Amino acid sequence: MKFRKIILSLIIALLSYPLATFAQVEISGFDIIQNVYNRPTGDDQKGKLTMTLINSRGDQRIREIKQYLKDFGYVEKKIMFFISPADVRNTSFMNWSYDEEGRDDDQWIYLPALKRVKRISSDSKSDYFMGSDFTYDDLGDRHPLEDKHILLRQEKLDDEDCYVVESIPKEEDYMYSRTVTWIIKDKWIGLKKEFYDEDGEHLKTLSVQNYKKIEDYWIITNSQMYNVQKEHTTNMILENLEIDTGLSDTWFTERMMKRGI
Amino acid sequence: MKKFFKYVLKYPKLILILSLIITIAFFVVMRQNTSMETDLDDYMPQDHPAFIYSNQAEEWFNIQDGIIIAIENSKGVYNQSTLEKVKSLTKKLQSMEEIDKDDVKSLYSSDNIVGTEFGLDVKPFFKKVPQNHEEMITLRNNVRDNEMVYERLVNKDETVTLIIAEIGEDTFSQELYHRLLNLVEEYENPENLYVAGRPIVEGTMAYLGPRDMQRMVPLVIIIIIIVLLLVQRSIKAAGFTLLVVFFSVIWTFGLMASLKIPIYAVSTMIPVMLIAIGVADGIHLYSHLHIFMKNNPQADRKTAVFDMLNEMWKPVVMTSVTTAVGFISLLTSEVFPIKYFGLFTAFGVLSAMLLSLLLIPAGLLTFGLPGWKIKNSNVRKNENKFLSAIAHLVIKRKYITLILTALIIGVSIYGMTNVWINSSFLDKFEKDSDIVKTDTFINKHFGGTSTLNVILDSEEPDAFKKPKILKKIDEMQADVESSLTIVGNSFSLTDYLKRMNKVMHSDSARYNVIPQNKELVAQYLLLYEMSGDPENLWEVVDYNYQKANVTFQLKSDNSIALNSSIDRIKEHLPELKKMGVSVNFAGSGYKGLVFTDLILEGQIKSILISLIIVIILLSLMFKNIKAGLIGVVPITITAMISFGVMGLLNIPLSTTTALLSSIAIGIGIDYAVHFIERYKIYATETRDPQLTGQKTMRHSGRAILFNAMVVIAGFLVLLASVFPPNRSLGALVSMNMFTSLVGTLTIMFLLLHIFNVYFKEDDK
Repeated sequence: MKFRKIILSLIIALLSYPLATFAQVEISGFDIIQNVYNRPTGDDQKGKLTMTLINSRGDQRIREIKQYLKDFGYVEKKIMFFISPADVRNTSFMNWSYDEEGRDDDQWIYLPALKRVKRISSDSKSDYFMGSDFTYDDLGDRHPLEDKHILLRQEKLDDEDCYVVESIPKEEDYMYSRTVTWIIKDKWIGLKKEFYDEDGEHLKTLSVQNYKKIEDYWIITNSQMYNVQKEHTTNMILENLEIDTGLSDTWFTERMMKRGI
Repeated sequence: MKKFFKYVLKYPKLILILSLIITIAFFVVMRQNTSMETDLDDYMPQDHPAFIYSNQAEEWFNIQDGIIIAIENSKGVYNQSTLEKVKSLTKKLQSMEEIDKDDVKSLYSSDNIVGTEFGLDVKPFFKKVPQNHEEMITLRNNVRDNEMVYERLVNKDETVTLIIAEIGEDTFSQELYHRLLNLVEEYENPENLYVAGRPIVEGTMAYLGPRDMQRMVPLVIIIIIIVLLLVQRSIKAAGFTLLVVFFSVIWTFGLMASLKIPIYAVSTMIPVMLIAIGVADGIHLYSHLHIFMKNNPQADRKTAVFDMLNEMWKPVVMTSVTTAVGFISLLTSEVFPIKYFGLFTAFGVLSAMLLSLLLIPAGLLTFGLPGWKIKNSNVRKNENKFLSAIAHLVIKRKYITLILTALIIGVSIYGMTNVWINSSFLDKFEKDSDIVKTDTFINKHFGGTSTLNVILDSEEPDAFKKPKILKKIDEMQADVESSLTIVGNSFSLTDYLKRMNKVMHSDSARYNVIPQNKELVAQYLLLYEMSGDPENLWEVVDYNYQKANVTFQLKSDNSIALNSSIDRIKEHLPELKKMGVSVNFAGSGYKGLVFTDLILEGQIKSILISLIIVIILLSLMFKNIKAGLIGVVPITITAMISFGVMGLLNIPLSTTTALLSSIAIGIGIDYAVHFIERYKIYATETRDPQLTGQKTMRHSGRAILFNAMVVIAGFLVLLASVFPPNRSLGALVSMNMFTSLVGTLTIMFLLLHIFNVYFKEDDK
């Protein structure tokens, strides 16, 4: 009897071996994107974001922002304060992004010169973030279920083994017709992403120029978005990053937006 | 020279064959290498400061000319069919290769900045065409509430809406033009669609002008042939006279092609010039031959031909050289196509000279003398009577001649003060043509089809965030809009800021003003960048808020409209200057204005230079300063009358009409030189002023009269043209020929007589 058991488990093992390896190789596009979306980045984060906007003529504008964010599980809350340029100092911006598929973000802005907090339209996930080349979706807010993902191939990029995944939106009138992402296999970091517009033409390329391991989390610190059609570039640098400092819930309120830093 | 002709004309057949071979060679080169240059930008001197600045500004703010498509529905545009068409046509235009997606503005593609109960929202007016009445009303109210769109994209009574597709100057082509018209046609009914805008006007003109010329030129040639036959009374003579003109035209264009110089719009005037000038040589040669044969009926072929050459080569060379010099003076122009025009017309004139002196005698030697019926010629007698009578009358009634001339000059000078320059394209079309009607229609319902860009420039970054400066700009916009009916609308950064200030204060009209402090301006702008498409901002201000672009919409593209707007804007200059802001202008309308001024300036400069050169040349040729000075009288009068009539008849100066003054000089000189040369010959021969006058009239006067008749008749045909610029061309060339003729035969002749030229010296 014991022998039969051994044989059985052997057969099962033999049978399942190719299945297992097959499953390992043929991880689905969706799973890859899901892994990236779910990559832990800590419960809370604070740091300084420097955004450099460069137009086709090489003119530059630099914006320095202090940002705080906290993951509440069902919602991720983020609050940002402008440090410079001087005329927008203390202008603050708050964004609540919900995990729930299809639920729009809540967004507020506080203009110190107007001394009033205003809501911003919420159906604008395809809007550009602070005049940069990043949309809110590009910054990692887009839920994996909103697209159909296909694993195209695996290849090396910048000496990293990457999955190349094509994502096609399910929504008809979305601003991109498709995106192609290079994802580092063991880290679940999107290293490069190409965006194609409604007409299928190349629109933008996102390239990650630096990422660091901070407190056991992989954090992207330097990235660049280049709009091919407008020849406009945005560089984003995250500095002085602190993770899991135990930010209080009260940071993410309209009162805080008005208080400034 | 005699020897040269004798030597060369030993082989008349060889000359005929050689010139035919050269012509065929040039023709082949012409067929293979000729290219047309229609891009107007190529005409403008790229190193002129006004063009450098305007071109730069066009790049900074993406300033382009717009094709305007108006969709009219008399029942109102807020219905599914019309809006569906707006959406579909917008998308079709956006997908066109020549048009940038962001450069198509319509109700479908425009953003609406609205205040919601929470704050600010920037979103399209509609993505899907409203399906029910309620949604339609909401859309209508949204448009009505938005000053940035209402009366700009939808007219006041809501029956017309616009789609504006901006297009680069070098991308517009004949083919695209037809593709657009076909596309628009698909959307007709029940809506009416209209297409307008500068690219369309330019496109239509580039299409109509040459097509009309192609139809008219054969007619002109036929008429010239008929009149030539009538005055020369010989198929051979008329044939060779014309052959000289055709060959010289082919040589000229052949040379242009072999030097890889493209044909510009002004180059199409070269054949016009060569026809008018080139027939002169042949007419004078054959006219002399005719007179010789009449006086020496027994003379053989060779004697007749060599007498013609010996007597006539000098005036033919003299007229051609002076004319060529007149055209070469156009090299002083700053406009390249005009330099080429001058240079190649000069080449053509000299080719015509060479061909007349070789081809005509060679033809006569080979094919025989024209079969004139010398003996019983009543016509001839009448001709002589008429010409002698002119000589007689002019001298007998010299005071009347002088007073009349003075009067005409006086009226011309008065007329010249009324001459105005027009760089308008639209004014070149018939008042009842489709293109003018469409333009009028859109101008009636909207701000205007033409634009003028005012570029404000400050030394200091962030200058255009300062409320003080912004308020001044707003004030300037309001002032120019309200004081000039020709200005329908204006648009700048101030319109964004006023709109945002208003919607952030719950749509209260009280806040439709520039915000009070710089921080609020900066924060609104940041807010706009965050919620809207920041690209739109870069069409009115630059990245560092150091440069701003104010667009004025005008209801006319003519120079009066542009100049009056510029003058009004300039009144605000001192105040802006105090704030450290300098003002410049840009856009294709403005460039056209500067360009026309440049052409005219060059034209006047070249007229003065060629007058001086011609006086010197004539004085040298006739070895007499008086003859030189009197010789330019017909030219001067012709030019004065030409400009005077334009002033009196309200014909504006444009690139074509300005060039016509070159014809006046070229032809005026020809007449004068032929006349003075003969006058000189007869003066030494007869030593009798009366007789000299009579004889010169019968000889040169006759040829000049024939020459004028031929060309006037030919160019009067152009009056039947459907394209107004070609019509004024015909009228003005004819008129210049006529005044040159009359000027030479009356006042110039009288002056020669009064000042005793060629007689006084003999008395000494």
